[in-house]
Amino acid sequence: MAKVVEISPTTRHEGHTKITMQVNDAGIVERGDWLSLTPVRGIEKLAIGKSMHQAPKISSRVCGICPIAHTLAGIEAMEASIGCYIPDDAYLLRVILQCANRLHSHALHNILSLPDMYLPGTDTHINPFTSEEPVRSVALRIQKLREIGQTVGEIVGGEPIHPSNPRVGGMYKNITPRAKSKLYDLAKEALPLARDHMEFMIAVFKDWDARPMASVANGKEVEKTEKFGFHDQGYMAVDPLYGSSSLDIEPRWFPERWTEVRPWDWYQGELEVSLEDAEYPIGGTTPVGTKVWPAMEACTGVPLYDGSPVEVGPRARLAMFRNYDRKGAMGLQIARQMEYMDCLYSMIEAIDAVDCSGSVLADEIPQGDGSLGWAANEAPRGTDVHLAKVKDGRVDWYSLLVPTTWNFPTVSRALEGAPWQLTEVIMRAYDPCVSCATHMMVVDDSKRVVAQKMFQ
Amino acid sequence: MVLGSYKTAICARAADPGILAKSQDGGIVTQLFAFALEEGIIDGAVVAGPGDEPFKPEPIVATTVAELLEARGTRYTICPNMSMIKEATRTYGLDKVGIVGTPCQIQALRKAQLYPMGMRSVPDKIALAVGIFCMENFPYQGLETMVEDLCNVKMESAVKMDIGKGKFSVYTERGAVSQIPLKLTHKFEQGGCHVCLDYVANLADVSTGSVGTPDGWSTVFVRTKVGEDVWGRAIGAGYFETKDIADVKPGLDLVTKLANEKISKNQKTLEERATFGVNKGLRNPYL
Repeated sequence: MAKVVEISPTTRHEGHTKITMQVNDAGIVERGDWLSLTPVRGIEKLAIGKSMHQAPKISSRVCGICPIAHTLAGIEAMEASIGCYIPDDAYLLRVILQCANRLHSHALHNILSLPDMYLPGTDTHINPFTSEEPVRSVALRIQKLREIGQTVGEIVGGEPIHPSNPRVGGMYKNITPRAKSKLYDLAKEALPLARDHMEFMIAVFKDWDARPMASVANGKEVEKTEKFGFHDQGYMAVDPLYGSSSLDIEPRWFPERWTEVRPWDWYQGELEVSLEDAEYPIGGTTPVGTKVWPAMEACTGVPLYDGSPVEVGPRARLAMFRNYDRKGAMGLQIARQMEYMDCLYSMIEAIDAVDCSGSVLADEIPQGDGSLGWAANEAPRGTDVHLAKVKDGRVDWYSLLVPTTWNFPTVSRALEGAPWQLTEVIMRAYDPCVSCATHMMVVDDSKRVVAQKMFQ
Repeated sequence: MVLGSYKTAICARAADPGILAKSQDGGIVTQLFAFALEEGIIDGAVVAGPGDEPFKPEPIVATTVAELLEARGTRYTICPNMSMIKEATRTYGLDKVGIVGTPCQIQALRKAQLYPMGMRSVPDKIALAVGIFCMENFPYQGLETMVEDLCNVKMESAVKMDIGKGKFSVYTERGAVSQIPLKLTHKFEQGGCHVCLDYVANLADVSTGSVGTPDGWSTVFVRTKVGEDVWGRAIGAGYFETKDIADVKPGLDLVTKLANEKISKNQKTLEERATFGVNKGLRNPYL
């Protein structure tokens, strides 16, 4: 009979989540649920009635890791709703911002994944904070890449976090030629660093994939299974780099293919923990006898695309636009590293193309007639879709479908077949960022709450 | 300590006649920034550049000496230089920023450096802060009234304005000089200036003003290590002519006298404000 084991809370990612699993006698997951415990943020409700300029700024505050993605998706959703086309130079500035965001976020995620990995050729887990070589120079390289990403974001976006420069209709300010050459120098400085770093990280992840035994940092070594972290779900991505919106001639995301299931219809029902490992880092798993109820504890809806959970993120982008086909948790990690170069080359191209004396604000900004507009931005960890209805300059309706919300049910599938002690490695491979992923209130068209349950 | 703490006080003027030709007094700010720009001490400076209307300045980020020269001379009205300090590190991409400001602006700058609310990665990029002596400031409409109605000079034909020796003087492009007693200008002052207890920009790296030195020269206080370093290098490179402050008339005595006047006058306003209204006074911004 299956035993129930729970890792709560999970660590080394953004937000609060847990993994509740039913495992067989060999400790292999038969059914797993990865769920968000982060309290509901209520951004979508806060935005209603606010001006279309303010709402994206509020929504960007949902998180500090990819605020650029949320700002851009939010602003472009407003622009899509009112039908506002932005000047080319404003678009280029946004592309630079997008690349800067991805650069710093991927580098940050490396710090979170490295402790599970081994130095190739040894059985030592990597401690990214050690002062010993070769890890020290890797950590410094990560810092440098992050610094460059943040500085580029600061110059183009006005702030390293929560960019102030993007606005509905384009950007507030263009950059000066001096800032442009500074950006170019920064990108060029990052280029060789990113190449070395990508190669190092890919070697580390491939090494992990090839090991018969592995453990999470400070954990017990267990035998790995074949097809570690595989799932059979599809991929969803709208662009290799930037995004798509309903203003596009050929939009690459389709709101009518999206449906949402409520968590109490999706996750496991009431369970009692029957397996416990006090040694599991950090502080052991949930004690035997604890009652858990994933269906009621989850704080996210379950978005489906074509009626099924999908994976979003680096691998989805590479699979859909570059024919990438490596499966499993490490396949995703490797895809993420492969994006470093693309993001720097695109940044350099966009910097080259920006005309510093060009206008960055649309001549006319319509006020909106309440029609639906959406924008899907390829955030570092996946497709971030914002949908909005703007009427007379005010937000009538606003919804966020953020990357990790899409990934929650997919990760739950990917846990199956893996030893439970290594499930956190799978979850971390998706670079979860949970604070923005949490929203839970089902309303119908007349804004009546049709589904609301008690949260524990 | 009405003059604040300073390492040295000097009487100086710019060595470049080009700068002196249109500078207010000794051309200290322009010359010092020009030197700092050429030496790479700063990448650019926030200065009061030309605005849309005559004698209405607008803060600009000057990254060349030519732009600095455009900003020479005093305009007795408000120029919110602090509003550009963040922009200088953003769209202008500067790493080492110079800024010139009145005592209150330098206070704001130091406060922003100490508590960088909404000023992320700005504090460490301030490379040189030059303060200017300030008794009070005028809103643009006030200045316009003083010049056009009291001095009978069209703003467009004024080439220089000056306050000194108890008079407000306007010089026109045709060589005429129109003067009114300073007393007549008091009612046009900004109310906010009357609570300020800082005459000589106590918190700047270098502060300067005309008071205390002969016409065409400026009094300079070098206050901080940064200021001392830049000033020392500029002197070494021959960018300034200097005189011993003890040898010039009227000297530091006059600066002290005026600083005392400002402080005691404004202290009185603060005390009045403290008892203003019923049962509660207005806040003293210095407490």
